Amino acid sequence: MNEELWFAQLAEETPLESAIPAPSCLKSLVYSHLISEAETEGPLLPLPETKAAGRGLCVFEHLIEILPVGAPLQNFQYCKICHARVLGERVEQAPIFWPCCPYSEFQNR
Amino acid sequence: MPSPATIQDTDWALAQAVLARDRKAIAEFVMLCSDPLYRYVRSRLQPRFDFVDDLVQEVFLTAWRSLPQYRGQSPLKSWLLGIARHKVEDHYRDRLRDLALPDDATETIPEPSPGVDSVLDQARSAAITSAILAALPEPYRVVLLWRYWEQRSAEEMAAITGKTPKAIERLLSRARQEFRQQWLTKPEEAAR
Repeated sequence: MNEELWFAQLAEETPLESAIPAPSCLKSLVYSHLISEAETEGPLLPLPETKAAGRGLCVFEHLIEILPVGAPLQNFQYCKICHARVLGERVEQAPIFWPCCPYSEFQNR
Repeated sequence: MPSPATIQDTDWALAQAVLARDRKAIAEFVMLCSDPLYRYVRSRLQPRFDFVDDLVQEVFLTAWRSLPQYRGQSPLKSWLLGIARHKVEDHYRDRLRDLALPDDATETIPEPSPGVDSVLDQARSAAITSAILAALPEPYRVVLLWRYWEQRSAEEMAAITGKTPKAIERLLSRARQEFRQQWLTKPEEAAR
C-alpha cells in the first residue's frame, strides 16, 4: 500500500481521543477565570435575573437573592469568598455537595 | 405543535446568556465544552500533557472573547473545537519553528519500508499507534500529527512554520520511516 495512504488510513482509524474527562480542578480554574474576565467587562447579571432565566442558585446565593439588598450585592460573585471555590480549584474529587454550586457540578463523580 | 429546539438554538441561547454575564450560564458553558475540548487537546499534545491545561484555558479565553461572533450555525462544542484546532496548530508551529530542519535537496529520501499492512483490530492498532507516537522524538510526532490527524499539507505546514516545503517533506519522510520502523520491529513493546 502507498505510504501516504497507509498513514492517512491509520489516522482515520485511530481517533486518539481517550475517554478521560477534563480534571475538575481545570474546570474550576477555567470557570473562575471566565468569571474574572466577565467582571472586567461589567457587572454580572443580578441573581434574581439568573433565577428568572431558570438557572438554579446555591444556598448562599438564594439567601442573598431574597434579602432586600441593592444591585452591587446582587451582582457580586459570592464564589470568590466561598470554600467550595478554594477546594474546587485545588482538589480533584473535592468533597463539595452543595446543590446548584458550579464547583460541585464540575466534580467527575 | 412547535418544533423542538435544535442543538444550535439551545447553544445560541446559552451563548447569549454567557454574553449577558449570567454566572450560571458561564458554568453551563464550561460543563458543556470542557470534556470534549480536553480530550481533543490531550490527544493532539500527547505525551506532552504538561501543556494541556494551559492550552485548554487559552482556548476558553479566546472563545470568551470571540463569543459575540458566534451565530449558532454549528453546535457550541464544534465551534470551540475549531478554536482549539488553531491553538493546537500554533503549538505545533512553536515546537517546529526553532528546529533546524535539513534542507539539502541532494540528500536521498529513504524509500518506504515494505510489509507493514498487517491486519490488526482497530482498538489494538490505535493503542500501538498512540504508543509509537508518544515514543517518537517530538519533531517527528508533531509533524505526523499535523499532517495526518489535522490533515494539513506539507505546503501549508511550511507556510505556517516559515520553513521550506522541502524541509517539511524531509522531516515527514524521516518521521514516517521512524514510525514504520517501530511498527515493524516492536509493536508489542509499543502497545504495552
